[in-house]
Amino acid sequence: MSFDVNIILRYYPELLGGAWVAVWITAVSLVCSSAVGAVVCIGRLQKHGAASRLATAYIDLFRATPEIVLIIWVFYCLPLLFDVRIGRYGCAIIALSAYGGAYMAEIFRAGVQAVPRGQIEAANALGIPIFHIVRRVIVPPAIGWMMPALVNFLTELLKATSLLALIGVAELIFVASTLGSKTFAYMEFYTAIAVIYFMIIFPLSVYARRAEQRRLRRTGN
Amino acid sequence: MTETAQDSANGANGAKEGDPIVLCRDVVKRFGDFTALDAVSTEVRVGEVVCIVGPSGGGKSTFLRMINGLEGIDGGEIVVDGIHLPGGKKDIQNVRREVGMVFQSFNLFMHMSVRQNLILAPMTARGLGRKEADDRAERLLERVGIGDQIDKYPSQLSGGQQQRVAIARALAMEPRVMLFDEPTSALDPEMIKEVLDVMRELAESGMTMLVVTHEMGFAREVAGRVLFMADGQILVDAPPERFFSEAEDERQANFLSKIL
Ligand SMILES: Nc1ncnc2c1ncn2[C@@H]1O[C@H](COP(=O)(O)OP(=O)(O)OP(=O)(O)O)[C@@H](O)[C@H]1O
Ligand SMILES: [Mg+2]
Repeated sequence: MSFDVNIILRYYPELLGGAWVAVWITAVSLVCSSAVGAVVCIGRLQKHGAASRLATAYIDLFRATPEIVLIIWVFYCLPLLFDVRIGRYGCAIIALSAYGGAYMAEIFRAGVQAVPRGQIEAANALGIPIFHIVRRVIVPPAIGWMMPALVNFLTELLKATSLLALIGVAELIFVASTLGSKTFAYMEFYTAIAVIYFMIIFPLSVYARRAEQRRLRRTGN
Repeated sequence: MTETAQDSANGANGAKEGDPIVLCRDVVKRFGDFTALDAVSTEVRVGEVVCIVGPSGGGKSTFLRMINGLEGIDGGEIVVDGIHLPGGKKDIQNVRREVGMVFQSFNLFMHMSVRQNLILAPMTARGLGRKEADDRAERLLERVGIGDQIDKYPSQLSGGQQQRVAIARALAMEPRVMLFDEPTSALDPEMIKEVLDVMRELAESGMTMLVVTHEMGFAREVAGRVLFMADGQILVDAPPERFFSEAEDERQANFLSKIL
């Protein structure tokens, strides 16, 4: 069994192209997930009422649906139901953001609830205007709390893009299998994309760990 | 906020030494069906130090929290330096600028340095410039004896030091009244004195103070009056000499026999 490094080098523009697609879809989905998550989180934080029930139902629904089912459903069923043409990239982002929104909502909620009530009370007692309480007292520690979960979610999202090969999005798996069937160098290409995934995700995990340690040293909680 | 706006119908009027600065008239607080404060009336004059003691659940914390608008008022009224509560958002904001509060659990902003803890409120609620706020922070930390800790984070300080930071943080708003809710109850015994010393100095400087405490030595020495609160009422209001020598209420006698 031989491992032909040269074939990887020959096709590296295609591989990088696949990586780029995975990264930008992840980035766009992260932004959309955050927006969806923020709205759902606000609903979830209400103590009762329709908004709260709707938000809870949303979270339950999308956390109980495998991503792959969601992706296929959005690509094949949504256009039939609503008679719209969205395109595979649009579908990819819709599916990942719908799924991501449910996770981001829970991440946001944990972050906001992690800020000790006493600190908000002290800020109120000092007469600090509400805008500054949110910006200076609630958000920074909430982000600190959420960082590990956020980075974890980001890596999950990136890994989930590999499922998009099924609907023909030219991300890494799709590129590797296309190149593989063309050249029969399956081992080389699948190894190459494993390395590429690792090179993107590993620094993120290291960063998350460092940030968490820094936060712990500072705030001790 | 201009001075004229503040001095209008419902604004701080600058009470002088000996004038009443906190006035409570038949103040009622309910939590659901439960009446936590039952028509509490009292008056605190500028420069007075009033200690509040009493059994757990008697309403001491609730009473303090109502004076700076942390709890809404269900009946009666509280007037702080001419500002009437209950009132609008503006009134509550104005009251909070005049009234500082120190909590049992410090409640420092843990993600901020000591300096940032001290300058946030003066800059955002009083409109102070950075330089002025910094100078004030440094001066106040000197005053509470921890000038050298200004660039540390709260988690790097002892409990006693953290509570002194919390006192300095409240003082940075230049309040006219300071509320303390069991400021030493969360501290190890060896740190209680350093916090009480700061409070004693503050009292001597003429600050008006309401202090909920279990430190009877402090109450005896520093307080001008001691209030005994139980079941949402002020049952006794007496100078410390009398409060600790001759009980005028059965529950007060009971309380004193347990605590002294
Ligand atoms: N947010 C709240 N909701 C419901 N009940 C409350 C609330 N806050 C206080 N209470 C009740 O009001 C009563 C007075 O409470 P408060 O905390 O003022 O007592 P306290 O005198 O400060 O007691 P302690 O010495 O234990 O601090 C208690 O019975 C308490 O359970
Ligand atoms: Mg209390």
